[in-house]
Amino acid sequence: MAALVQIENVRKKFYAQVVLDGLSLDIREGEVFGYIGPNGAGKTTTLKILAGLITKFEGTVRVAGHDVLADRNQAHAAIGFMPQACGFQNWRTVQSALDSLGELSGVSDELRAKRIPALLERFKLLDARHKKVKELSGGMTQKLGLIQALLHEPRLLVLDEPLEGLDPPSRNLLKEIIRERQHAGTTVLFSSHILSDVDDVADRIGILNRGKIATSGSIRELVTDFGLPLEIELELATPPASTGFLAELGTATERRPGEWRIRLADGTAPDPVIHAVIEQTLAGGGMLRKIGLVEPDLDDLFAQYIERGHGN
Amino acid sequence: MATRSPTRLMLRDELYGFAKSKVMIVLWVVLPLLAMAGYLLLPKEITNARGLGGLSATAFVGFLMSSVAGTVAALMVAVDIVSERNRKVYELFVIRPIRPEVIIWAKFLAVFACVTVACLVSLGLGIAVDAIRGSPPRGSELYDMLKSLLSLIGVVAMSCSVGVVFGVMSRTILVAVILVLYVGQNLTIVPMLPVYLGWLPDQFWLVMAITAVLTGLLVVAASVMFRRAEL
Repeated sequence: MAALVQIENVRKKFYAQVVLDGLSLDIREGEVFGYIGPNGAGKTTTLKILAGLITKFEGTVRVAGHDVLADRNQAHAAIGFMPQACGFQNWRTVQSALDSLGELSGVSDELRAKRIPALLERFKLLDARHKKVKELSGGMTQKLGLIQALLHEPRLLVLDEPLEGLDPPSRNLLKEIIRERQHAGTTVLFSSHILSDVDDVADRIGILNRGKIATSGSIRELVTDFGLPLEIELELATPPASTGFLAELGTATERRPGEWRIRLADGTAPDPVIHAVIEQTLAGGGMLRKIGLVEPDLDDLFAQYIERGHGN
Repeated sequence: MATRSPTRLMLRDELYGFAKSKVMIVLWVVLPLLAMAGYLLLPKEITNARGLGGLSATAFVGFLMSSVAGTVAALMVAVDIVSERNRKVYELFVIRPIRPEVIIWAKFLAVFACVTVACLVSLGLGIAVDAIRGSPPRGSELYDMLKSLLSLIGVVAMSCSVGVVFGVMSRTILVAVILVLYVGQNLTIVPMLPVYLGWLPDQFWLVMAITAVLTGLLVVAASVMFRRAEL
């Protein structure tokens, strides 16, 4: 897949503070890219540079082949941006906000008349259509922010913490919409602190730390490269005479009475260990309620990454 | 690109936004009525003085508006810009394929238009009151009245442009208000300085031309600052 977004050697300072320090990143057309990192890593700064809100930086940023500074309007036409906090004029209603922003993005009157109610309906905001934006709750304003980014069906969706402030059904809806847009050919770049949600939708992730991409790739690739250990999770309905055998199988931790996690050593196959746990529990007069393999997820990867100080 | 011109679209929206605001209700309705009430309560010795030509309602409103309209215009636009920028309203516009300067020009033109309408309403009411009282403006006075009106509109335009500059420069509403009240209002006499200092002849249309040019330059300067600022 060709790169829709090309970020080359971008440096950005705010006063004396270096926020981005030689950031380089390509995002392929049609992929969902999760952009994660600790607080202060430079995620929002990167997205704002892409969207044209920050124009003083070193390096090159191209969207759909257009430089975001030199070919500003062409680059912006390809982008739908949802900022972390969306502000609207106090006098605007939901309808008037979407109408004006849609028209400024080049959406015709006829298309706006179809898309606005359809999107409002999808996000369950149709009843609030004629309400003033200042009367909406935080979550509803967040949804409105997403709708204005989707209205002109851009090639690239840039979403800064889109899941913040949304209730679980709305988060699931947003993830569903991201997947739908991807199937329709839209490229999605989004940042989030809710790593389980990033895990659910992202094809690739990039971990930003101290102004640089510390690593990027699919979650599966990163987990393998990083060598995160597998774990076996078990719940004992009745404990056996002794649980000492669990420590011989790996690093065993009792999280709650009767609930254990066994971290396997590198290279240990999980199936024989599971078999041994079942056999020895039953031999000791115990009963198992639940046993299964826990594969590392993005939360584990990120925590380990930061703990080990990579990218520092 | 936008189906209509972005400038027209932004101007239409800004006019709508300001026209709906409570401040405009005060300027268009309450202020003219208060001015007339104040005029009618003035002692007859002032309104009917012989030899001094008396003080017509039109002149009274003219004095009142010339002292209030400029300050109100500058404050309205400066506070609006600071408030909206701090609430991150402009981010959703700047990310679209429009020139950021369009936002500033739309703000300036909208406030200028609304305050000018307020001046015209007030003066119209003053003329009506004079006509009712049997002393409508006469032919010889009409030209002077037109020049006064144009001066007033010039002051409003200059004040709006100063308000736009301070709105773009200021990070907080308090700073914007202080700059407008203590610095801005003094700047509106700048177009007349060349005449006061004897550098240029005392010609009304010359002063109007200087006002127009300075106003344009200030709005352009504000636009450049806004485009270069990081939101």
